[in-house]
Amino acid sequence: MIDDDGNLSIDFLVGFTIFMITLIYVATLIPTLFIGLQSNSIDYDAVAYRTGVILAEDPGMPYNPSWETLPNISDSQILRFGLALSKDTPNILTPEKINRFFCSTEFIYPTDYQSRAVFGDYPYQFNISLQMAGSSVTQSVGDILPVDSTGRSVGTYGYSRRVIKVKEHSNATLDFSNFVVNPGPTPAPPSNLPLGIYTQNATNQAFSVYFNYTYLLNSGPDYDSIAYQINPLAPSGANGLVGGEGALINLTGLQALPKNGATVNLSSISVYKSQSAAPLGTGQEPFGGPELNSTNPSQFLLYIDGNPTPVTQLPCNVTSNVSLFIPPGLLSYLGGGDSSTLLNITMQFQLSQQDWYLNSTQVTPYGAFNYNYTNPNITQPHLEDGVMEVAVW
Amino acid sequence: MVNDRGQLFTIEGVAASMIMLFTTYLVLGATTVYTPGDSHISDMQLEQIGSDALNMMNTPSNCTSSSCVSQLQQIVYEADINASEANSTFNTIFPDYVNNRTGSTSDNLHYYAVITFRNTTDTNTNSTWSYYLASNRNLNGVEHPVRVTEWVIIGPPNFPNGITLPPGPLGDEYLPEPRAVLVEVLLWRD
Amino acid sequence: MAGLSDDAQWIVMMGFVVSLSFFFLALLLNQSTVVGQTTAESVLDFPKNDIRDVRSVMIQSAELLNATTNPISVSQYQTIQNDIQRLSLSEKKAVVQYQIINPSPLWLSIHYNNGVTSYNETWVSP
Repeated sequence: MIDDDGNLSIDFLVGFTIFMITLIYVATLIPTLFIGLQSNSIDYDAVAYRTGVILAEDPGMPYNPSWETLPNISDSQILRFGLALSKDTPNILTPEKINRFFCSTEFIYPTDYQSRAVFGDYPYQFNISLQMAGSSVTQSVGDILPVDSTGRSVGTYGYSRRVIKVKEHSNATLDFSNFVVNPGPTPAPPSNLPLGIYTQNATNQAFSVYFNYTYLLNSGPDYDSIAYQINPLAPSGANGLVGGEGALINLTGLQALPKNGATVNLSSISVYKSQSAAPLGTGQEPFGGPELNSTNPSQFLLYIDGNPTPVTQLPCNVTSNVSLFIPPGLLSYLGGGDSSTLLNITMQFQLSQQDWYLNSTQVTPYGAFNYNYTNPNITQPHLEDGVMEVAVW
Repeated sequence: MVNDRGQLFTIEGVAASMIMLFTTYLVLGATTVYTPGDSHISDMQLEQIGSDALNMMNTPSNCTSSSCVSQLQQIVYEADINASEANSTFNTIFPDYVNNRTGSTSDNLHYYAVITFRNTTDTNTNSTWSYYLASNRNLNGVEHPVRVTEWVIIGPPNFPNGITLPPGPLGDEYLPEPRAVLVEVLLWRD
Repeated sequence: MAGLSDDAQWIVMMGFVVSLSFFFLALLLNQSTVVGQTTAESVLDFPKNDIRDVRSVMIQSAELLNATTNPISVSQYQTIQNDIQRLSLSEKKAVVQYQIINPSPLWLSIHYNNGVTSYNETWVSP
């Protein structure tokens, strides 16, 4: 006979039903627990602060040789960006690192920057910008900030602002416009020349600038603080020397030098090396070499007569201006990174006829121009104000 | 047929559902929603900006072996000689450092700066004394400021005769000599 | 109690388990909301700028004593030293102490302690 007893008692069904209905109702309330929780947005300010510290206070990795000196193909060796001059000078940045960091053709937003400046597993969007005081140019990398047209923020973003200074290169600006050849029966030296410059009446002329590293590294202002040091010897970190930057030599008003109408030809740029300072009364002899004798000035940046395109082949005619920029690290390479080296950079000028021009080869006194901390025609390294902002969202 | 012996299924189901409902409402009422306004993040940002600004103000832009003076050193040195001059110099320089942003808009921070030094003539207590330097708004107690400080040394070669600090509670002039003072700035946002 | 059936105890048990899991979940979520706040507090707590600043002024005073041109006298150096120590204690709530271990090359031993962070350094002139 068919049994009409059910398996489950009514009591059980009722109890179980009440339980299940309550469980389902409570389960649908769980998402309200997550309303206030957005784990990424809590982090934004912390990530922005960290990125600000990494960029403003750290010199970057690798430090020796410095990351901004690596060639483009070695970008994968750059472990961490950092714009500071050194770890002892936080908030003082270098132009080389800034320009390399913001170079959009070399580093791709966001992947290159995320692994080297922003870090973290979550793919944050960010914007890093830098502006110098008194300038309206803003260098920036990253997405546009989430603001509307009136500048009001339409989304939350983490923010960090750093006040910085940038170490600007030294440069030697030598103006010859007032050059005068003293006439008269008694030969007198020409006048109105910048301090440390000599001239001669000849056909083949050579002008030299020399860098005495022992002096430059040990007689700097503020107890050799690298923030004010002239150091074209090394890029940051090589052989323990830090803070390298370029040197710029500007010769202006050169048209006033030749008094007999000679045309001038810059024929080569050479670099000589010496271990000892030349005593007064000697010429170029202590310098051996040349370490480099180049008719291809592309290792430097050479600008002639105000032309914005650098010269790529010597010899070339010179009328009024010569600007020679020695990039950081070049002299280190040529000097073997030895801080006791003296390096002498000589420009050979060929004149079409015998005439007055720059000449450092006079026997008395020692004629090469000394790039030092005291010559009034040298603008010393100085610090320019700026501000850097990091926004993360 | 239906058994009338008592069973507990229903009442246990009801009991379980009461427990779950009670807990749920307790839990939903307890978790807090994160609001950025009541955190220390804005304090951290202000402190960083203020420290940076004072640090950069105390770093000379030009430094040669004969002259290596920062803007803040110059202001502290002048503060006793010519207080209004030091006041206006600080009020010109400091807001630039602390309000400049990238882009065209500027920030709007308020500050109140004092110089604190040690009282050397009072050898019993060796107390410290502050005098007012500059501000761009007076404090009236409802602000939530952050305090940032910067050490300044006034001494040779830039200031070969050191500094003469103003009279303190004893009314005496202090010895003119190289000293270290603390510039303290209270910084806040409206 | 022997006569009462305990077959349904698993229903209440499930109810308890679900409740406890809610509590746990709520605790977890509550902790995560303070992540951002804790980071800011720890940044404020660590006296990075204080240490850098006081260390730099200590080194400056020692260099002034050892300067080749216009050095300050020993008593002037001690005045500055007392200034730094006294002002640190009263204004920055930090105990600092420093002394010159070796005059040439200049070696300085620096101590800083603000009750939360302690910093010790032997600084050698570069």
